[in-house]
Amino acid sequence: MISLKDVSYSYLPGRNALDRVTLNIGDGELVAIVGENGAGKTTLVKHINGLLKPSEGNVVVCGLDSMSVTVASLARKVGLVFQNPDHQLFAETVEKELSFALVNFGVPPDEIKKRTEWAMSEFELSQYAGRSPFMLSGGERKRLALASVLCYGPEVLILDEPTTGQDNRQKVRMASLLQKLNQQGKTVLVVTHDMEFVSDYIPRVVVMSQGKVIADGPSGEVLVKKDILEKASLVPPQLAEISWELGLDPPSISLDEVVARISRLPGGARP
Amino acid sequence: MAIIEVESLSYTYAESPQPSLIDINFKADSGEFILISGPSGCGKTTFCRALNGLIPNSYGGNFSGRVVVDGLVTTERPVSELSQRVGLVFQNPENELFCTTVEREVAFGPENLALSREEIEMRVGEALDIVGISHLKDKSPDELSGGEQQKVAIAALLTMKPKVLVLDEPTANLDPMSAKSVLKVLADLNSVGVTIVLVEHRLEMVSHLADRCVIFDSGRIVLDGPPQNVLYSDTAEHLGIGVPKAVLVAKAMRQRPELARWMPLTSRDLLRLLGGDQQ
Amino acid sequence: MKVFRGFEYRRGTTAIHTLDPRAKIVYLILFTALAVFYYNHFVLIAIFASSLPIVAIAKIFGKWSISIRGSFMFVGFIFIFNLLALYFMSGHTLEAAVLSSLSMAIRFICLISIFSTFFLTTSPEDMTQSMVQLKIPYDYALTFNMAMRFVPTLSKEAQYIMDAQKSRGLEMEKGNLVARVKNYIPVLIPLIISSFRRAELVADAMESRAFGASKKRTSIYKLRFDAKDAVFVLIAAVSFTALLSLRFLFSVL
Repeated sequence: MISLKDVSYSYLPGRNALDRVTLNIGDGELVAIVGENGAGKTTLVKHINGLLKPSEGNVVVCGLDSMSVTVASLARKVGLVFQNPDHQLFAETVEKELSFALVNFGVPPDEIKKRTEWAMSEFELSQYAGRSPFMLSGGERKRLALASVLCYGPEVLILDEPTTGQDNRQKVRMASLLQKLNQQGKTVLVVTHDMEFVSDYIPRVVVMSQGKVIADGPSGEVLVKKDILEKASLVPPQLAEISWELGLDPPSISLDEVVARISRLPGGARP
Repeated sequence: MAIIEVESLSYTYAESPQPSLIDINFKADSGEFILISGPSGCGKTTFCRALNGLIPNSYGGNFSGRVVVDGLVTTERPVSELSQRVGLVFQNPENELFCTTVEREVAFGPENLALSREEIEMRVGEALDIVGISHLKDKSPDELSGGEQQKVAIAALLTMKPKVLVLDEPTANLDPMSAKSVLKVLADLNSVGVTIVLVEHRLEMVSHLADRCVIFDSGRIVLDGPPQNVLYSDTAEHLGIGVPKAVLVAKAMRQRPELARWMPLTSRDLLRLLGGDQQ
Repeated sequence: MKVFRGFEYRRGTTAIHTLDPRAKIVYLILFTALAVFYYNHFVLIAIFASSLPIVAIAKIFGKWSISIRGSFMFVGFIFIFNLLALYFMSGHTLEAAVLSSLSMAIRFICLISIFSTFFLTTSPEDMTQSMVQLKIPYDYALTFNMAMRFVPTLSKEAQYIMDAQKSRGLEMEKGNLVARVKNYIPVLIPLIISSFRRAELVADAMESRAFGASKKRTSIYKLRFDAKDAVFVLIAAVSFTALLSLRFLFSVL
């Protein structure tokens, strides 16, 4: 459903933010895009919703070539939720905030009403319907930002650093929401440097470094490879470190597997 | 010797219907490294602001109880005086750095104290050295990475020569590598005697550095003790705090007698426990 | 938004960057006065040309040209507006109206050039410091400093906000004038609110570094007016006098 072929892009001449990236993401996948700051993660996802157009190569999303459609038409299919909700909240009421995108996309009024009501109940914002978005707490604003994108029902959902500044409980809730959306058939991409979140909840990971994709595969396989993590300047997931430290073979990012393998350690099989 | 003493502190922000802090009792000895954590909105930020006097002096609101830092009662002294004992580092360096070069940024504090130019230059040089960013002296803060920016913020506070450094989620906006780098600076500062009060979610990176772990929930302190006791407690589990994975591994292997006695916080601890049969 | 970059200070080590800001202020005042004073196109072009060697020495051609290019829209507007006003409303002849409007346009470009050159080579701290040394109260000087310092932050934020809103279907290039202005609301509001929030946080940060501890304030730098600055001021003064003499000796206006 999302296909990037040999995509290159640079903000400044001489420095490629994306360097011949080829990536394919199928319908209904749940994928993490990781890499250090400046690796090209955000540049990559901005190509997927059309905010940026490739200088070389092509991007096809849901059958549309990003070069031949407007950002608005591609945004209809690809919802991009940015890191800071305060960069988008502007409306007089929560309800108006939710309906903003729908109005832009020309959705009929009764459909708008239905969808905003759904979003408010789904994200526990109904009691704030008539209130100003700026009166909500930090966590509620983040929910509102996410709700206002899901409101218009994009097939693909991209979240840029959704776990920044969130406590553990909020992360667990975010993870189950993403998994639920994924089960409903949406393709979900998460751009993040939170390796714990990826290793705990996201099955496939794409590792970027200096504008290139250097690894792409199941999280359980990719995130235990020391050389790849080092090359991308990533801090390994804790369970991977524990696996390496204790010499578990093969290393794992699953808590149950790590515990099981420790029990099977020679000399570790004590009563 | 207690450098911070908080007695029965309760506080409600001016326009808020509910209190943000309820009956807080807290003590910190000189040279301690105290880790503070807890779910979002539990009062950690409010507590930090109460330690350098921003609350109540700048924020108003309803304040009761007593906060004493380095012998000074916070309600009786201006923030400008308190901030020379307690330095406060915030979450987002973009909103903390407001000068055009690192050197000027770091000099801002001593300039406010009307110190002599020589004294200012000396303090700036020292602070940049301690934090390891002397090479960034002439750069503009917006040319720096997030981690470097936070180090500048720390250096900018060190020039005030505070006894205590309070940091409110300083790594929240940083990637893990930068976070580690900043936390190392804090460990180094603590080893030379600076008292550190750190609010942090990334417990796996810091819990082994701390002398004490304090958990807030809904405006109250619910746990206060050595990191092992706190992180292995049922309350921590119930609150859903992000305990280090080593803790989860050890908890899952509870049948092993040595793991009940020793409570590993890091993979290194685990290795020491499991790797050697002989203690 | 991009036009802001033509006024953003960037550190530099050229002779112009290291000039005492007060010397540059002298240049700014003298040549702004000349630009406002003269109508003659050639003199105005000469005034414009006076900033070119400064641009060259300071190596700021790229940024400076951004401000010049960015001003073309305003320049066009000024030219047309004046032309219409003078021709239709004040009854000038077409030729006179065109010439006069042309003066206005060139004058505007002169001012943009002079101000852009000044702001690109003078740090907010230096401006603040010169204000302080000129005995302007520190609080006012600091307000000015802050405003300057956060211009790049604001323009970056504006970009993030536009990206976010475009991703929700906001089309900023479409529609008539009214629609386009309306489309700026979802960008301006978050920007303004964010600025208020930031103001509070910066205030906290400043207080946490003892801002206001003492009535007097020292500075790590002291502006020192040296030979180089004197030379610059001399050149500026001589050019000023030469250009001014055109009026009084040759009746050029």
